[in-house]
This record gives sequence, structure tokens and C-alpha cells, in this order.
Amino acid sequence: MAAEVQTVNNISLVSKEGDSFEVSEDVAQMSELVKSLMEDNDTEEETAEIPLRNVKATVLQKVIEFCQHHGEEPMTEIEKPLRSQKMADVVQEWYANYVDVEQVVLFELILAANYMDIKPLLDLACATVASMIKDKTPEEIRTRFNITNDFSLEEEAKVREENKWCEEA
Amino acid sequence: MFEKRRISASKCNLVSSSDFNSCIDSHDYGCQPQGNVYLSGVPSCKQLGLVLPDGLLQDILSFCDGVTLAKLVQTCREFYVIGHQPELWRDLVLIDSQDHALVNVGDCWKDTYILQQKLQCEHRSHKPMKIPGFFSDHFYQTHLCRSFVIPNEWLTVENGTVDRIEGISIQEFLENYEIPNQPVVLAGACKNWKAMNWKYKEYLLQALQMEKKRSLRATSGAASFASYFTVESYLDYCQSNQLEEAPLYLFDREALLDGPLREDYFPHLQRDCPYFDPSRTKENTHDLLQLLGENRRPDHSWLIIGPQRSGSSFHIDPNATHAWNATIVGRKRWLFYPPGQTPPGIHPSSDGDDVIMPISVGEWLTKYWDAHVERCQTLPLTEQPIECTVQAGDIVFVPHGWWHSVLNLDAPYNIAITHNYVSKSNLSNVLRFFESKQSQISGCRDRPGVALQPEEIGAEFQKGLRQHYPTWLQQAQQTGKWTCKAWEDKKTEKASNQKNIKKWESGRKKKRSRKENNGSSVLAKSKQQE
Repeated sequence: MAAEVQTVNNISLVSKEGDSFEVSEDVAQMSELVKSLMEDNDTEEETAEIPLRNVKATVLQKVIEFCQHHGEEPMTEIEKPLRSQKMADVVQEWYANYVDVEQVVLFELILAANYMDIKPLLDLACATVASMIKDKTPEEIRTRFNITNDFSLEEEAKVREENKWCEEA
Repeated sequence: MFEKRRISASKCNLVSSSDFNSCIDSHDYGCQPQGNVYLSGVPSCKQLGLVLPDGLLQDILSFCDGVTLAKLVQTCREFYVIGHQPELWRDLVLIDSQDHALVNVGDCWKDTYILQQKLQCEHRSHKPMKIPGFFSDHFYQTHLCRSFVIPNEWLTVENGTVDRIEGISIQEFLENYEIPNQPVVLAGACKNWKAMNWKYKEYLLQALQMEKKRSLRATSGAASFASYFTVESYLDYCQSNQLEEAPLYLFDREALLDGPLREDYFPHLQRDCPYFDPSRTKENTHDLLQLLGENRRPDHSWLIIGPQRSGSSFHIDPNATHAWNATIVGRKRWLFYPPGQTPPGIHPSSDGDDVIMPISVGEWLTKYWDAHVERCQTLPLTEQPIECTVQAGDIVFVPHGWWHSVLNLDAPYNIAITHNYVSKSNLSNVLRFFESKQSQISGCRDRPGVALQPEEIGAEFQKGLRQHYPTWLQQAQQTGKWTCKAWEDKKTEKASNQKNIKKWESGRKKKRSRKENNGSSVLAKSKQQE
């Protein structure tokens, strides 16, 4: 009796710059975009090539890291609204560490997760930004995200007055 | 006297999509479409929106609690607008009230949220400020979907292509509508029912609160969570008339099972619409699922209340059942697509388990109306969509397998009752459905131990039929195939459609699973939204 050989299909994800990253089919299919492009690609080739022209190599690498880990340790669903501003309180340690990155990388992850349609990653990255807003005063939020206060004096007074309740809550 | 009248849809005043693509009001916070930035002369107030698209900014804010949002809206103009999106505050309210009914309802969701916090300090109602320079297609689109104009000329009872009949016998109804599986409006059929008293709020409050103070469940295609209200707070919500895309739609599956509400219509139903009468008599037996027993059968009757612009997106009623829907208060506009004719913008999977579709009736009307008009004008007469307006006192017969969508037209609220049933005319399809579409059976999973579960229903139903209607069972089983195009096995047009949709269609689409989730399938929920 011939032994059954398990063929693990590998998918090649190609970044904007043309770099190729080989991943297993399971990992690749975490991206709904890749999944649907794979159905398009119905060829007999051993390694399908999926171009991802909107995703830089560094970001793609980070996305793949997420997908690979998720296969081994699925991320817990992040409850809304966040109970804590520390990501370690709302998600497993590995994931909390994963998103402990510079803001610019975080935003790139959000855009990539949105483009590639990977919901857990999108949730994680969005929740992380939300955690950076939580428990801060308006001025602290502005500083953190480099936002200009463009209210007129009248507008600003109105908004502050109307939201005084949040000081008590 | 019965007179059949089938008008070609091209003669129906269909209005144009530009009618739906205008708003009754400007955006509360001054939002304008993106393109206006080139014409307005006012600089854009976008900051973070230059880096992340608006939809993603909203996703980020969906993780924020109320206090965080209240601080965020004080940071800058951009976040003032985004942080006040009613959906954000609605979801916070709903999350907080999953285990108890909402009792105090404010003029807007933010106010309702603050009321929930039970603060000591005095709080005045939120008064939106219009912000100059906020240009966004994403937020403008939502505004359009919640405040689209409903053209008057579209709405008249006379402007419709569904047969509208006054006074019809059992035989005429069965021969001309139920057996051929055609919708019909029975004009004035319930106008003399005692249930018409429900238009008096006090009457309804008394009837519904006489029993235990039950909380009533309302859902929306745009909300991730169900909501729970008392009757009084729900009517307050309707009366607040806040503009929402897909307002929360209440329907209760217990209110009509017994008690004063049932007594207000049931005897009249037997008298005026014997073809819907579920009491089993030898000749005229409808509602065969009664054989399973009142508690063991799937959910089948609902009291439905909804504010203006609430409604249900296109769906096919659960379990291959027929339905009748009696309008007690307010008017509704019904749109029907025949079995097998999927409406534009609606994309079922090949097995029917999932449906990708717009999240609200408003979105469908603003985006797909032109495609709808084209179908009306190009399809053969028997395959054309049809539509009608019904008013208080009318009853609509919804034959099994027909796609339908309903929009509630009047303020402050619209009330209806509906029953789903199985009769001889759809028995073979129902049996086939129970056997081959178990994942789509709904109205029972959240009552384990009481209701028959999907894997049991088919066999139990057949057992009851064998005992009481063996000939009908035999005839139904002999059919050997679906007799309705809604469930005919389709050839492989399948997955290619699904993925094309993902690539090209707007990200606003919501994927709905017909399989049950948390005990109640979205299809059943859609049913609940009529």
C-alpha cells in the first residue's frame, strides 16, 4: 500500500517591491483577498503567486508574522469597548507585544489588514489605536497624534460645555 | 366580486433614482460629499483622515467607550464630526443593555447613553454643530441612507403592480393566489378587527404590559447587537424620530401566541380570512405546522413595530413558508421579486447559506434603484418584480420563495402582525427544505429543550402528517423535486459571482448568514424586520 503523501501547498505573496514571501495555503487564506484571488488562479502550479501591489515588503512580512502565529494561537476576540488602555489586558501577550510598534507602522498595518481583508489583524490594530486614545485628556490626545485644535473659540467652548458630563462619569 | 388585474410594471410610476439620492435634510454636522471640496472654497478639516480612510477611523472609534469619545470630540473639528456618528453611541448603549430593557430614551443615541450613566450632574441635550470643511463620501453616504427622500408619487396605494382585491372567497384565494404562488393585497381585510385599537398607544401599552413586564427585542441590519425595550420605551424611541440608517425594528414572537392581543384579531381572522385560519377543519386546513404543537414548532407569528424608514432588506421567508402580514397602523411599501429572480445588489451563495447584501433598505434604494427599474422594463412579465403600498386595514399574502423587502412609511410608528404557515400548496417544498436545508432552518435554535431542533423537525412533521393527512403527505413526497425556483438546484454560477463581488463592490456590504447564529438566523431576523 502506497503511503499517502501530504502535499502542503505553498503560496507566494509578492510585495509592492516585488519581493516574494512563501507561506502555507492555510496562512495565506487568512486574507479574504488572497483567498479570492487564489480561486481566480485555478492553475495546477505548485506554488501560486499572488501579487499584493499595495503592500510594502516590511509590512507584508509583519502581516505574515501575524497570520502564522494566529494559526498556532488564535487571537481572542477583542471586546468592545476596551476595558483598559493596556493591550495586554484585552488580548494575549504575544499580540500585545506584536502591536507595540511605532505609530507609522501601526497605521500601515491597519491599511494592509484592510486591503488584504484580515479581520483579526484589523481589529487588533484598530483597537491598539483606540487604546492610545483611551484615558487621555483632549490635549493629550492632540499631542499624541499631532492633531491641531482647529475649533473656533466659540465652537470649542460649546463642545467643552456639552461634554462636561464625562468628567463625572 | 373578484376581478383579476395584472398591470405591467412599466406602467407603474417607478420614479427615478435621483429622487432617492437626495436628502430631506442637510447633514447634522455639516458633512458634504468629498467632491464638494473642489467647489466650496472652504479648506478641508481632515487631519488623521489624510492618513487613514474615514471608514477605518470609524472602526477605530468603535473600540472607544463613551467617556473617551466625549474627550475625543473636543480635540478638533474632524473628530467632532466622526465621534458624534450616532451608530457609535447606539452600539455603546446596546452593549450596556444586553441583559435588561432600555427604559429611558433620549432624543439621540448620545443622550440615551448619557441617561444610562445615571449621572448626578445636570445634562442638556446634545445640539449638533455644523462644522465647515468636513468633506467625506463615507459619512455622506451614511447620511444619504438614513435621510433619503421618499417620493410621494411612488407611495400611493394606487401605484402598484400587485393585485389589490377587496372581498374574496376561499376558493378564489386558493385558485388564483396561494396555489399559483402569487402575492396579493387583500384590501381592507382587517379594517374591522378589534386589533385596529392598537393604534391607540394606551391600548397597546395596557395589552402588552398586562402580563409580566417582558422586554421586547428589536434588531437592525446595521447594528451588531440586538436591543431590548419595554413597550413604552420603544414607542418613545419611535417617536424621537431620529434619523438612522436601518432603525431598530421591534418584533416579538410571543405577544400573539395567547392573551389579549391574540383575542383582538384571531376570531376576526377566522371570520374574514378563513383561508388563513389556522384552526384545523376537515376541508380548509391551513397552518399544518400546528401538528408539531404550539411550543415545539418554529417561531411563526410576530407582532411588528417600527419607526418611519425602518424596514427589512430583501429576504425569503424562513422554512419555505407562506406568510400573511396584516397592517394595523401606518403604511408600508412592499417590493417583490419572483422566486429565482435575485434582486440587484443581493448575492446569495450557491448553497443559499450566506447572502451578501446592503445593510439597509435606504442603501438599496439609493444604489440599486436604476437596476431595479431596468428589470421592470426588460424582464418578461411573469419574471418582473412587482410592488405595492399597503395601508392600515390591508393584508398582504407573501407566497413562499418570493424575495421581498418592506419599508415603513409613516411616523411615529407602524404596527403589523404576521403569521408564517404551511399548507397543502407548499407542503412538498417545506418537507424538502426540512430534509435538505437543515442549516437554514430557523426559529427554534434558541429554544432548545422546548422547540424541536432542525434535525428533528422533518421527521416529526412527517409523523404528524402520516397520522392526520396521509394522502397529502404521500402526494407531497411524490413530487420528487422542488416546485419553486427559489430552491431549484442551480448550476455552477456560484463562487465566481461571490469573489467578483468582493473585488468590485462597495465595502459597505454586509455578509449575512442564513445559518443560525446565537439561536436565531439572520433570515429569521430579516423576517422580523417586516
